[in-house]
Amino acid sequence: MATTDIQGQVLGETEGGADKFAWSMTLPLVRATLWGFTAYFLGAWITAIAAHTLIVNALPATVGYVFGLLGWLAGSGLWEGWIRRAFGGAEAPVYTGVERYFRFSSDSKATAVRYVIFNVIAFLFAGLAAMAIRIQLLTPNSTGWWLSEVQYNETFGIHGLMMLLAVVSSVIVGGAGFYLLPLMLGVRNVVYPRLLGLSWWLLPPATVAAFMSPLIGGFQTGWWGYPPLAQNSGNGIVFYVLAAATLLTSSVLGAVNIVGTMIYMRAKGMSLGRVPIFVWGLVAAATILIVEAPATFTGAVMDLSDMILGSHFYTGPTGHPMAYLDQFWWLFHPEVYVFVLPAFALWLEILPAATQRPLFARNWAIAGMLGVAMVGSLVGAHHYFTAMSATRMPIFMTLTETVSIPTGFIYLCAIGTIWGGRVKINAAVLLTLMAMMNFLIGGLTGLFNADVPADFQLHNTYWVVAHFHYTMLGGVIFTWLAALYWWFPKVTGRMVNEFWAKFHAWWFFIFFNLTFLVMFIPGIEGMNRRVAIYLPYLRPLNEFVSISSFFLGAGFLIPAVNLFVSWRSGKKATQNPWGSKSLEWHLSSPTPYVPFPEGSEVTVVGPNDNYAAGAPEPFVWNQATPSK
Amino acid sequence: MAAENIGTLMDPASERAKRGAFFFPMLFTSIICAAWFLARFLWAGTSVPKAADFGVGVALTVLMLFSIGPMSGARTKLIRGEDAAALGRLAALLGIAVLVVVGIIATWWAVPIGTGYGGIYDITSGWILLYFVGGVLGLLASLMKGKQVLERFQSERWVAHNVLSFWGELVLLWTVFFIVFYIA
Ligand code: HEM
Ligand SMILES: [Cu+2]
Repeated sequence: MATTDIQGQVLGETEGGADKFAWSMTLPLVRATLWGFTAYFLGAWITAIAAHTLIVNALPATVGYVFGLLGWLAGSGLWEGWIRRAFGGAEAPVYTGVERYFRFSSDSKATAVRYVIFNVIAFLFAGLAAMAIRIQLLTPNSTGWWLSEVQYNETFGIHGLMMLLAVVSSVIVGGAGFYLLPLMLGVRNVVYPRLLGLSWWLLPPATVAAFMSPLIGGFQTGWWGYPPLAQNSGNGIVFYVLAAATLLTSSVLGAVNIVGTMIYMRAKGMSLGRVPIFVWGLVAAATILIVEAPATFTGAVMDLSDMILGSHFYTGPTGHPMAYLDQFWWLFHPEVYVFVLPAFALWLEILPAATQRPLFARNWAIAGMLGVAMVGSLVGAHHYFTAMSATRMPIFMTLTETVSIPTGFIYLCAIGTIWGGRVKINAAVLLTLMAMMNFLIGGLTGLFNADVPADFQLHNTYWVVAHFHYTMLGGVIFTWLAALYWWFPKVTGRMVNEFWAKFHAWWFFIFFNLTFLVMFIPGIEGMNRRVAIYLPYLRPLNEFVSISSFFLGAGFLIPAVNLFVSWRSGKKATQNPWGSKSLEWHLSSPTPYVPFPEGSEVTVVGPNDNYAAGAPEPFVWNQATPSK
Repeated sequence: MAAENIGTLMDPASERAKRGAFFFPMLFTSIICAAWFLARFLWAGTSVPKAADFGVGVALTVLMLFSIGPMSGARTKLIRGEDAAALGRLAALLGIAVLVVVGIIATWWAVPIGTGYGGIYDITSGWILLYFVGGVLGLLASLMKGKQVLERFQSERWVAHNVLSFWGELVLLWTVFFIVFYIA
């Protein structure tokens, strides 16, 4: 029986409920919000009374946060959906229809879709913060009519923290990753579906707390949270620490699922050599998180303990403030590979299908990703060359520059795949190629940062800001859009409007480069980052950067409208519009609620990226008639 | 198709997968403690203050080492399918976990938190205490499930297995904690 026939059969309710959306379905979301805020105030208020202090102080805010998080989770449906049955209570209800998007659910596809929506909202608000920053820098001193210096510090701190931990860290892993991981491996769901569901429900409260931090005094440390400034510049730092710890926990819950699913749950015949390249990218990122996140996690907890419990890890007579830097960068350098390795891997999924050519040197690509994960984990100290002993400098300089070797493998594999072929350019492919261009500049400027003598000049200037925006906005966010366009038909069953997608791709590419290529110059000219007031000779450059950034920001209205309109009324998608050999494209569009129902499991007989002429189909479908 | 069937259909991991993948959360939670065991030497050198509550430390360590008995007993019973006997041993572990939680809290008054040793002692033991609270919840869940819906307990024996694996991690972590903070 052909693929489509098997997948098209309706097996009981496996297609998913057909019930229409009703407002009552959003009840869990409303309830979670209500309980979250109520519990927050209850916890904070009781603590404030008990400790004879103000409700906005560090201790009440911490207790309030913990209460609020639990209240939110209780309201989300976690109780009915998991805890109650785990303690021997009534069985959890199963929601196969639209309801599952609005409550705690164990369906990885629903979780992934929720990730996308969360990322879009977080991107919007963190983006507005960026616009506020650029308005400030239109003139050398805007503190009289725009943000004060303190407000400015709070704004870039929130912008950085949220863009990193609520956007870039989960745009690829959360949306594309959790959607595709089981489908690409040929299984129905991940190994711990409820834990994965929980990973999403941790995001909103952490994010709300970070954005609300100015209400309890803000924080002025930027996204680093370095002591002793952390302990001395506003109670909002408590929300910074708690949000960062919560978001990291969420990432780790995802990572556990990625590695566990990949090791234990592959379809029949999927040997390691046949695991799709995107799954390898996810695994490389997940390994980094599981092994390296603890150091940074402990740093956050100790920073908090100094604030609320009276310990002296980083401050006071027994404090070692530099230890925080070691702990912080232990993960947060490798974290950049958590962002970028899955994005690299997506290029290597999209390009072979777009050129209909086999992935070039597949094993080198895998080695490249694992190599980056391994070497990249040793180089965090390159973020503070200006504060380390001369002995450490050459070591971390050399190690950092070594990372470019495995990164090079990945680039060569991508280029080798399209070399001499004919690339069929749609919006997703265009954005992928643009991401490759942008990231190249990001990576090459990284080498200058890693060079100690150069870094003494460049450290903490706008050069560094331009560098990391090239890697993350230019590399990861471009790839995010590419992924959204590429898999949109599979998720929604409809096609994206290609014209507006391509139009925006060019808009994004042009204004992104105008903004950030020019931004290198004030960096070299001596403009420090994280300053609200700068010297007048830098004004023309800053004006230029600000104005192009406004175009860049406003441009995101285009994909927002385009994706929404395409979702409501786009052309119906066929099963496999790109002619891809990857497994998810061989299910119907949109993906049925139960993929691979019993009786239509798949046997894998080859890698999904072998497009060589005459290569056999990589999958054989089970011929048996479904039993149920 | 009944809702319950779809529920199981959409949670397809085998017992082997559920138990095998549990290695990764255990790895993560252990590395956190390992980081603190190392940090103890940065913040407090190698000396153990006289005020440290050695007696309680020894008592809790003995208790934890003793718990290896019911732990491996429960494992054997689970494998043999003797669920009632396994549940009895889980209950014993639950009792031990509660004792350890109380014991840890009792040690917090010995050395003030503002000192190098006190700070790292309190944060590490406090974190391990959270693990014990997790252990209590896990044991309680298994016990209640076993008492109320034995069938569900039996079709999901991997949960009890993972709780026991976690207990093994706790024994290990507590023993290393004792060595690092009371002897080294
Ligand atoms: C290929 C090689 C790369 C090298 C050699 C490199 C090197 C560096 C160095 C040495 C710094 C510190 C500069 C300073 O503060 O003086 C830095 C900053 C940074 N890099 Fe990279 N980088 C590379 C790739 C990436 C990637 C892939 C990302 C993200 C996806 C990234 C994100 C960042 C961020 C966020 C910062 C700034 C952190 C901060 O100060 O707030 N880099 N890079
Ligand atoms: Cu770095």
